[in-house]
Amino acid sequence: MLTRKSCLWVTLALLAFLVLSLPVGAEEKIIKIGSLYPMTGRPGIYGLDSVDAAEMAIDEINSKGGVNGYKIQLINTDSKAKPDYSVMVAKRYITQDKVNFLFGVVSSAVGLAVTEVSKQHKKIFIGTDHASTQLTTDKLQPYYFRVSNNTFQSMAAGAKYLKELQKTKPWVTIAYIGPDYAYGHDQWNELKYNLDRFGVKYKAVGEYWPKLFAPDYTAFISTIINEKPDILVAGFWGGDTVAFIKQAQPYGLFSKTLYFSPDGGGNYELMAAMGADLPEGLVLSGRHHNNWPDTELNREYVNKFFKRTGRYPTYAAEGAYTGVYAIAEAVKKVGNPDDTEALVKAFEGMKIKLPEDPEGFTSYIDPKSHQIVQEQAIGVTEPNDKFPPAKLMLGKWKVYKAEDLLPPADYIEQLKKK
Amino acid sequence: MDPSFILMQFLSGLMMATLLFLVASGLTLIFGVGNVFNFAHGSFYMIGAYLAFQVVSSCHANFWLSVLAAALGAGALGMFAEATFLRRIYGRSQEGGFQILLTYSFILIIDDLVKLIWGTEYKSLQRPEGFKGAVNFFGLTIPSYNLAIIGIGILVVVVAWLILSRTRPGRIARAAALDREMLGSLGINVPLTMTLVFGIATAMGGFAGALAAPLRSVSPGAGIEVIIDSLIVVVIGGMGNFWGAWLGALILGEVNAFAIATAPDWASLFSYLVMALTLIFKPEGIFSSRRVRKV
Repeated sequence: MLTRKSCLWVTLALLAFLVLSLPVGAEEKIIKIGSLYPMTGRPGIYGLDSVDAAEMAIDEINSKGGVNGYKIQLINTDSKAKPDYSVMVAKRYITQDKVNFLFGVVSSAVGLAVTEVSKQHKKIFIGTDHASTQLTTDKLQPYYFRVSNNTFQSMAAGAKYLKELQKTKPWVTIAYIGPDYAYGHDQWNELKYNLDRFGVKYKAVGEYWPKLFAPDYTAFISTIINEKPDILVAGFWGGDTVAFIKQAQPYGLFSKTLYFSPDGGGNYELMAAMGADLPEGLVLSGRHHNNWPDTELNREYVNKFFKRTGRYPTYAAEGAYTGVYAIAEAVKKVGNPDDTEALVKAFEGMKIKLPEDPEGFTSYIDPKSHQIVQEQAIGVTEPNDKFPPAKLMLGKWKVYKAEDLLPPADYIEQLKKK
Repeated sequence: MDPSFILMQFLSGLMMATLLFLVASGLTLIFGVGNVFNFAHGSFYMIGAYLAFQVVSSCHANFWLSVLAAALGAGALGMFAEATFLRRIYGRSQEGGFQILLTYSFILIIDDLVKLIWGTEYKSLQRPEGFKGAVNFFGLTIPSYNLAIIGIGILVVVVAWLILSRTRPGRIARAAALDREMLGSLGINVPLTMTLVFGIATAMGGFAGALAAPLRSVSPGAGIEVIIDSLIVVVIGGMGNFWGAWLGALILGEVNAFAIATAPDWASLFSYLVMALTLIFKPEGIFSSRRVRKV
């Protein structure tokens, strides 16, 4: 006779047998993506949003039966935003976890390190949210693709904006403040290059290099106030933008000088963190906007993300979302996730309709530079409480054509020589 | 440079110095009295900022009350950490190494706790009522909250001086810095003294974090950002020297402010230069006289 206890054991054993035998029995075909996103410290929100958005895309695709019978699976490891550590994880992904794609990365320093691993192991690396132009110009390798725009594209759009502005509000002097590492320096150099290219006359009156994540900008602010530039270009991102704006506001900086931050300065996290304290009239942009373009696809994407997580996405999320769809598209074309060379061909020139594409435009991956080509919109902060906790959002959009924003050949040559 | 700009830049430096001092004072106090180098001091600063945010947003409390609550909360957490963990390693051989490892682990634990409780989004606190605008004088515009912080810094220096030199607890703290064994044999409860001093030091960290919250972004990892500059301050002023910390902060703040105004490309170099020169020529700190080496 079965006692109660042995009954329990038998049930447990049966259950265990069932669970263990499931994957074996089903022989599921899997596309494995190994991602590296920072989950801690100041960039943590970028990592968290990216992973949530990538999983959202994966659930959408898998629930419709996957791609050619393959289900997509994501494994993420905290990159700690450290290049050497990320290289170690990327190698482990390739040799032990047998991933089909390397994926992610917020910091350009990590991106530049991981692209070397991708090159060595001939494993495709999809870059979703790091902006250094180098990755798709002088440091480009055959197995790297980027699905979000780089700083050159933002700065080319920025230079066009400033050129138009001169017609309505004649400005002459311009100063720059940005974090003292490659990302900060690239933006300033690229903006000046593009201003010159478009024949804009200006006078650069100062450049300031606080450390990344510096807590205090007071002394920079009083110096800039004293200099009274017409335009202050800021290369900050994330918490640095928040801290700088909070500290500069009571000094009246924004009434005397136009604050201009066309790459990462207009990320939603700024609007969410500052609420009603955010000044009106700042000119900003980012890699994706929750309220531009006003298309069905973008509204749907933003609402789905909100339903899933209870918060509105920062721009990092859309990069990751795009990356997963790009992979699905490539695998669909090739038929399997293992034929690397065929996949590379499939990514080159791929057209992909994204939440950030305005009506009548479809993003595509430039076959030569492996860089996604997208329209850029620059906006101005104005009251809008449709995306709480934000009380202001960007508006009065100016949109720039994708083809006009790519780095010209002579610029890439110049980078290669360096 | 025109004089009004010099004044403005001086005030910028003073404001930075005051916040630096408020963080560094706790660090140097616990080093002076307890000979503990609390690597996690910045984490108590961060906890203070989050606690102030929580109190303001969930109780709609007055900002200044939230600063008080943040200091008390950070102090309580500090006393818990001291009584439960740090106390066990006092007097071990190579205690210094253990201190660094143990307090470093506090950083990681507190960072993760903060992430679990408050998430990774940036939090922001408004400046308190009455301090949202700016004060105009001599054609300068100075945010009134900055002036308030400078005033609070001076108040803290005076109050701390009164407590340390004129009261019995202050004398006990100074005695603990000099000879803990002797203090014990005089009937003072030394372990309790240590816990209390650690609590006061971490409360000052939390106090500084809460005061800085309306100016900075509150996010995980915020502690790391302030610990390095505080360390420079403590080294310049002399490890464990309370007044030294104030003067060290003042030097660092002003050197930084005027370096930014005159040679922005090299601005961050100067603060490290001051520290390096101090370490080479006067390693006990610029303001240490041998007689009052600690506190």
